[in-house]
Amino acid sequence: MKPANQMMKQVLRYGTAATMAMMIGSASLGYAQESVSVRATLMTGGLPLEDPNAAVWSSAPPATFPMSPQVHWQNRIQEVTVKDVIVRALHDGNQMAVLLEYADPTQDPDDAAALEFMVGDKKAHFAHGQPMLQVEGGPVNIWFWKNKTDKAVDMSAKGFGTLKPQEHQDVKAKGVYANGTWKIVFSRNLSTGHAEEDVQITPGEFISIAFAVWDGRKDGSGDLVEKGSQKAVSSWWYFRADAPPDYSGYMYAAIAAALALGFQFVLIRKLKKGQ
Amino acid sequence: MGSLGKPIILMVAMYVFLKFVLPYIPGSAPLPSSLIVLYLLLTGSGIVIFETVSKESKDAFWGPIQRFLTGEALGGLQALRYGVLIFFPLLVGWQTYGSTAVSDLPPMESRTIHPAPPGEYTGLSNPVPKTPDNIMQGKGFYAAYCSPCHGGNFDGKGPAARGFIPAPANFADPTTIAMLQESYLFWRIKKGGVGLPIEGAPWKSAMPRWEVELPDEWIWKIIMGEYDGAHQSPRTWE
Repeated sequence: MKPANQMMKQVLRYGTAATMAMMIGSASLGYAQESVSVRATLMTGGLPLEDPNAAVWSSAPPATFPMSPQVHWQNRIQEVTVKDVIVRALHDGNQMAVLLEYADPTQDPDDAAALEFMVGDKKAHFAHGQPMLQVEGGPVNIWFWKNKTDKAVDMSAKGFGTLKPQEHQDVKAKGVYANGTWKIVFSRNLSTGHAEEDVQITPGEFISIAFAVWDGRKDGSGDLVEKGSQKAVSSWWYFRADAPPDYSGYMYAAIAAALALGFQFVLIRKLKKGQ
Repeated sequence: MGSLGKPIILMVAMYVFLKFVLPYIPGSAPLPSSLIVLYLLLTGSGIVIFETVSKESKDAFWGPIQRFLTGEALGGLQALRYGVLIFFPLLVGWQTYGSTAVSDLPPMESRTIHPAPPGEYTGLSNPVPKTPDNIMQGKGFYAAYCSPCHGGNFDGKGPAARGFIPAPANFADPTTIAMLQESYLFWRIKKGGVGLPIEGAPWKSAMPRWEVELPDEWIWKIIMGEYDGAHQSPRTWE
């Protein structure tokens, strides 16, 4: 017969090893997915609504998304100037600002860019909310900026050919071109009074966002190369405005730990009494 | 006393087997950790039942555990006992935090890559005769309409593909057109991304709805050209 102490040591050694192995196994599960979203960082103080070069933008994590020529519908284009967009976002609980940044070798009056959002609970096709055959889709909200006017147009669409400016213009935009790079800030209130046509942004919730860019250069005969549906587009990605910090998880953990501790005391007391 | 040592060795051996041995048995795959936990729980309850069938084995099994918890005559192990008594509530708290904390990850998405086609697109056979001329024509149409995304090499790596998620299908991959019938391709080309059912996430696919631009005959020829160019054959029922 082994002495009790020695046996206990064995028990503890194996038990701890097994528990640790299980913990490591379950902890590694959560981190497999890549980052596929724009995170609007919560900040206090003024949002840089008009200033694409404001220092505070560096506090927002950049996310890069690849672009393709628009091929889903006529008229197509086979090649586009802009290959990637870099996106940052900030919000203060009332307003949000999205900074779109991309390389474009020339500044042209017809340079333009847009953000697209799904509106409401229904899924919308990324190509202007194009009708789907087996799924009832929803509308999209498009925030369109053009260098010529340096203003945003707040638009709605539900399929190609249905794009039109909204009655209520809620979006602002401001672009700055320098060193072969466009930086454009789009801004709006997180929520508007028109939930049926405007995307509503609730901090903490993921919504779908997509991007489009037109390089306004002209070909040899003076025609625009990228215009209308001939543009660079992205797929749907996620956008989320950070929720205010939530400490309830710590509270639940503390309650659970206290319950476990209480359980131990009761158990040990019962065992001692039983003997 | 061995009646407590053995079960623990058995549990550890079971874990090592499930985690590190089973995945390497040919035809097997790594087990999800939830399944491993389930198997260990089953093993554990089996041991408890086995160890508690008689009074003697029950005492031999529970005795050391009780003595450890109550701290009687533990000697030098008293510190370890306190360690366990502190560690357990912390573990419970940590697990609770992990399961209640708000996730920073976007919603998980599952997409069926080859969802079932509508009934009228099953079992159609290619009405275009498989002649070298028709195959060549099909490859010509493919080059004009499909290759910008699906690639001149039929590998899904066309110049327009980079921004699209889902990525354009790679026809040279044996899990795409090689396991589908011509009838299925006819449906997918004709109706495009917007024709997918909900499990195919139609809102994400850039695939055009070619029925509005190309006659059926061209689509059948494109299918022929695709199989030939990608060195694949359509799936058949024999």
